[in-house]
Amino acid sequence: MPKIHFDHIEKSFGTVRVLPPLDLQLNDGEFTVLVGPSGCGKSTTLRILAGLESLSAGEIYFDDAPISHLAPKDRDLAMVFQDYALYPHMDIARNMSFALRLQRAPRAEIAAKVQRVAEMLNIAHLLDRKPAELSGGQRQRVAMGRALVRDASTFLFDEPLSNLDAKLRAKMRTELAEMRDTLDKNMIYVTHDQIEAMTLGDRIVVMSEGVIQQQGSPEELFKTPANQFVAGFIGSPTMNFLGGSLAREADRLWVRGDGFLLPLTDEQSGRLNGNTPGDVSVGIRPSSFSADPKVGAPIELHLAVSEYLGAQSVLVTRCGEEEVLVEYDSATPMKSGVSMTFGVRPEDIMLFDRASGARL
Amino acid sequence: MSAPATNEQRADIFFYGFLIALVVISLGPIVLMLLTSLRLKVDIVSDTASLIFLPTMRNYETVLCNILWYTPQHVEYCNPTFGRALGNSLFVATVSTGITLVFGCMAAYGIVRFRFLGRGTVSLTTLLMRMVPPAVLLVPVFGIWSFNFCFGEDACLAGTHGGIVLIYVAMNLPFVIWILQSFIKQVPIQLEEAAKMDGANAFQVFFLVVLPVIKPGLAAAAIFTFRIAWNEFLLANALLDRSTRTVPVTLVNSLTEHDIDWGVIMATGMLLAIPPIIFTFIASRQIITGMTAGAVKG
Repeated sequence: MPKIHFDHIEKSFGTVRVLPPLDLQLNDGEFTVLVGPSGCGKSTTLRILAGLESLSAGEIYFDDAPISHLAPKDRDLAMVFQDYALYPHMDIARNMSFALRLQRAPRAEIAAKVQRVAEMLNIAHLLDRKPAELSGGQRQRVAMGRALVRDASTFLFDEPLSNLDAKLRAKMRTELAEMRDTLDKNMIYVTHDQIEAMTLGDRIVVMSEGVIQQQGSPEELFKTPANQFVAGFIGSPTMNFLGGSLAREADRLWVRGDGFLLPLTDEQSGRLNGNTPGDVSVGIRPSSFSADPKVGAPIELHLAVSEYLGAQSVLVTRCGEEEVLVEYDSATPMKSGVSMTFGVRPEDIMLFDRASGARL
Repeated sequence: MSAPATNEQRADIFFYGFLIALVVISLGPIVLMLLTSLRLKVDIVSDTASLIFLPTMRNYETVLCNILWYTPQHVEYCNPTFGRALGNSLFVATVSTGITLVFGCMAAYGIVRFRFLGRGTVSLTTLLMRMVPPAVLLVPVFGIWSFNFCFGEDACLAGTHGGIVLIYVAMNLPFVIWILQSFIKQVPIQLEEAAKMDGANAFQVFFLVVLPVIKPGLAAAAIFTFRIAWNEFLLANALLDRSTRTVPVTLVNSLTEHDIDWGVIMATGMLLAIPPIIFTFIASRQIITGMTAGAVKG
């Protein structure tokens, strides 16, 4: 499998710059997920790699060989499209074998490969049907099958699950995760869904406005986000951000805001290293709140709404003027409209520079 | 039953009466043509014309005498004009339809998918060409075809199959380009991108993916082109000579001041109507709704 290196690639449509210089190195055999909100340039990056969009500047290397001058078919890539893009006039077997037939592979070999992939994806009974006769989930499988039959070095997925309903999406996600473990291929997956990114990716690249915000393993991104954007994007329900300011009192750093006063750990104070900006954002994950106020520092929240999700509930609460989401065990009954004290461990608090968004 | 007719029922009577009138107007001439073609000359010209007569195939036998495998007894001299004209018509209409489609689909694809200088102008002017009535073209085309494109002593483009095919292609191409443009625009671009990723070059994308998907459009364009070329009279009358004449011209030329054999003319007319019907029937089977059904998420 080639090592893929995006060397300061740029893309502009007319005067609109979609990608400022972007530098990214992908490791061999990795499942990389490009994730970010709509319009962050992740799909454009993938399409440039596929050769469907041209580069405005920069170069892409496969194992140190530049490839941006090559046509899509010469890059040894297979791609799964968001809208499936099945050939409506061909039956499923012919859809899947299209690439092999173009390569003039022997007929027996084509049939064997199609059969093998179709069985793997549970679509062997659909081979003689037309795409119009298939359901959305089946079409999605065919689209994946068409890519898998190719045996290309690198697979590209452009939001392949976004057109499926929630249940089917979860099922296909699991199957993709299984597939990832059995196939030793480079896979590059674009999505706006952070859950897909977290469950599938060996490595996640978070993008916003064409800029890579952070890259790393799902755990790294969750535990040590580089900035407020990544912290807010990764994790569900999303992290709470409260405005506050730092204050030194009783030989210790505290962060104070509208309705809360939380201590910082020595490790956090040490990292600040005397660099104490006035305004900070305090990030607390909804899962970091404990019903026992004696765990860590107490914080009083006013309950507005309780969203029951089964075993867990998400409480929408107010801390001063700001909204705070709290994940809570549904077993304990909750009453809206009352105030309640929760405990937050200081080491679960993240601090971000209010102006730049960088993590402190 | 005896209840007074309501307003709605009265409206229904008018509605169906109107429909029946329309059917009579459109089918009447055809029925008349069919009945006349089945009568002997005596029956046609007799004053006591009635619906009761002995149908005969004689007129058809006369028309097709040089194509039939037997010699009809009543035919004293077999006039080969019609058989030849039918062949000419078939050749001219089929060839011009084929050429028009080949160039039309490629031109339409180019205009829709490629960005080049003057694309908008090309797209618009092709349609403007269609606005010119054929009669306006007649005089210059006749002059040019008869005097400017000559090979040898007196063989010119005028009077040849090639000459008339050329002008039919030029006449129909704008419309075909225009109609196919809208079909090609409906082909999702992801389909072409998927084909490119699958290893297809530009020609394979066009011939293996785009063309099969726009088959309904091609069929519609083919019906249109074939019918125009089949029915065209004005240019064919001016440009073709005795041996290359098409059926409509032959038909009109058989109205002479000496003798008008209505039975034969009507039989010719019936035969003239059949090939377009067959062609339309075959082509329209390609026109199925939902040409891109299942291709992409709807």
